[in-house]
Amino acid sequence: MTQAGRVTLRGINKRFGSFTALKNVDLDIKPEEFFALLGPSGSGKTTTLRMIAGLETPDEGVIEIAGKDVTFAPPGDRDIAMVFQNYALYPHMTVRENIAFPLKMEKVPAKEIEPRVVDAAKKVDIDHLLHRRPGQLSGGQQQRCALARAIVRQPKLFLLDEPLSNLDAQLRLQTRVELKKLQRSLNVTAIYVTHDQEEAMTLADRMAVFFNGEIMQIGTPDEVFNRPDSIAVAAFIGSPPMNLLPAQLDGSQLKVEGRTIELDRKPTATPMAVTMGIRPSHIRIDADGIPARLYLSENMGESVLLNLYIGEHLVKVRANENVSLDDGDIVPITFDVNAIHLFDAQTGIRIEN
Amino acid sequence: MMNIHQRASARRNALLMTAATVLLLIWVFPLLWATVVSLKSESEVLAYPPNLIFKPVFQNYQDAIFGDFSILDSLLTSVIVATTTTLLTIVLAVPAAYAFARLKLPARRTLGFYTLATQMVPPVGLVIPYFLILNKLQWLDTYQGMIVVYLTFSLPFAIWLLVSYMEDIPFEMEEAALLDKASRLQTMWYVIIPQVRGGIAVTVIFVFLNAWNEFLFAVQLGGNTVRPVTVAMYNFVSVEQTLWAKLAAAALVAMLPVVIIGIAAQKQIVKGLTVGAVKGGGRR
Repeated sequence: MTQAGRVTLRGINKRFGSFTALKNVDLDIKPEEFFALLGPSGSGKTTTLRMIAGLETPDEGVIEIAGKDVTFAPPGDRDIAMVFQNYALYPHMTVRENIAFPLKMEKVPAKEIEPRVVDAAKKVDIDHLLHRRPGQLSGGQQQRCALARAIVRQPKLFLLDEPLSNLDAQLRLQTRVELKKLQRSLNVTAIYVTHDQEEAMTLADRMAVFFNGEIMQIGTPDEVFNRPDSIAVAAFIGSPPMNLLPAQLDGSQLKVEGRTIELDRKPTATPMAVTMGIRPSHIRIDADGIPARLYLSENMGESVLLNLYIGEHLVKVRANENVSLDDGDIVPITFDVNAIHLFDAQTGIRIEN
Repeated sequence: MMNIHQRASARRNALLMTAATVLLLIWVFPLLWATVVSLKSESEVLAYPPNLIFKPVFQNYQDAIFGDFSILDSLLTSVIVATTTTLLTIVLAVPAAYAFARLKLPARRTLGFYTLATQMVPPVGLVIPYFLILNKLQWLDTYQGMIVVYLTFSLPFAIWLLVSYMEDIPFEMEEAALLDKASRLQTMWYVIIPQVRGGIAVTVIFVFLNAWNEFLFAVQLGGNTVRPVTVAMYNFVSVEQTLWAKLAAAALVAMLPVVIIGIAAQKQIVKGLTVGAVKGGGRR
C-alpha cells in the first residue's frame, strides 16, 4: 500500500505549562481513511490535529506523515491542507484570490492557476461566486470556499477542525454528506476533529475518542458504539448516551437495584463491584420489571424518551410505542440481557464476557 | 405614525446631533477666528470691539508665502521632515509590531513595556540630552538629526498602535497561510498588512501630524538649514510687535497639507478607528 496520506503518531506528550494536554497518544491513520478525533472540548483532539499540521510541536514523541518523520517540520513542508473552524478566509481577497493563494505561494505558473481555481470551485459548487469577497458569502458558502482552498493544491492529507460547527443544523446535515462524498472522490486521507459524536459516527471510517488528553478508544464507529472500552466512552457515545447503574457481579449473576439478572457469561471467581451500562433503546416496559418513577417524558417525534428514576438513579428509556403516561407514574422496566455492558467500577474498564 | 420606539430614537438622534453641533462649534471657532483675522489688515485686527464686517484682504497670505518672512522654504522643510519621519516609522514599525503581536520572543512582554515606557517621559526632559547627543554627532540643524529625534517618539507610538490592530486578526488566518507554504514575510505581506491598512492609515496620520506640529525640538535642535514651519511662523512674533494677521495666514497655510491628507485618508481612518467594533477578533 502506498504511504501517501498515512499518518502515524507515536508516544506524543504535550504540556502547556502545568496542564497536560496530551498523554502518550499513539495513532496510525491509514491512507484514504476518514478518521475522526472525537472528544469533549479540552480533551486534546484539536491539539493533536494542530500537531499533525505542524502548528504545535510535541514535547515528546514522533509524528510521521507518509512514512517521513515530520515532528519538527514546518507546516508548509508537510503537504497538507486544513479547514479551520472559523474558515480563516482572507477577508481582503476575493473567493478567486483566496482559492488561488496556495497555488501562488507554491509558485504555480499564472496560466495554470485560473483553471485549477475554477476546477476546485466547481467541485464545491461555488464557481459562480469567484468574484465575491468572503464577507459577501453565507456561512455555508464560506465553508465551501475554505474547502476549495484546501483541495486546490491537491494534497493527500486533509485536516478538518470542526468544519461544520458554524453551520445551522439543516445545512450541517447536507454538508456532512457532501464532505464524505468529496473525500471519497478525491481519494485523500481526512482527519476530522469534532465534539459531535453523531458527526463522527456518520462520517468516520474509524475514530479515536479523547478524554483528558488521552485516547480512550480507537475503532470503527460500530466498535465504539457497540463495544465501548470504558465508562468514559460509554457515557459519551450515543444520543442520549448509555445509562450507567452501579451493580454487583457475583458468579454469572448481576445484582442491580435489588434485582438479580442471570447473565450468559462465564462466572467470576469473587463478587465484584461493577457499573452496568445499557442503552435507552435496550430497556423495555414490562409489568414484571423494576418499578421506576416517571420524571419527565420527552417527545422525540419518532419515539418517546422517558426519564425515569429507579431510587435516585436517572434512567433514560426510549419507548417506541405511543405510551400515555403522566409524570409521577410508576413504570416497570426490564433490561435486555444481551445488551448489558459491564465495566469495572474501580478502573472503569470494560469487562468482557 | 411613529411608534414609541421610533419616537424615542428620534429624540435620541436629535440630542446627539445637538451635542455634536455644540462640540463642533467649540472646535471650529478658533479656526473661523483665525480665518477672519487672516483676511483683515493688521490695524483692523487690533480694533476693539472687533469688526465683523470688513473688506477682506489677501495681502497677508501673499506676505506669508512670498514676503520677507516667507514660510515657503520652511513648508518644504516640514514636508521633508514629516514625510521622511512617517515613511521610516511605518517601514520599521510594521514589522516590529508584527513581531510583538505574533512571534514568541523571549522578552516580548518586557520589550513591549519599555517600548511603551518611552512614551511616558515628558519630552521637555529630553531636549537637553538630545541637544548634547546631536551636538556630539554634529547633527544639529540637520535633517538626519531632526528625523532621528522624531523617530524616537513616533516609532514606539506607532508600534504600540499597530500591535493592537494586528492582534485583532485571527491566528487561524496566518496558520492557514503557513500551511499553504507562505513564509513569515509572505504571510505578513499578503495576509496581515492588507488587513491592517486602516490601522496603518491612522498611524500615518498621527505620526505625520505629530511631526508636522512639533515645535519644542524643532526650535532647539533645528536652525537656519532645518527650520520647520512651526518655528518659521514665529518670525511674525517679535519683541516689538506681533503680526497677528500674517501669523494667522501662515498658520492656515501650514495647516493645509495636514487637512488634505486627513480628507484623503478619511475612509481608511474611519475603518481603522472602528475596527475594534467588528466581531471576529482573535486575541488569545
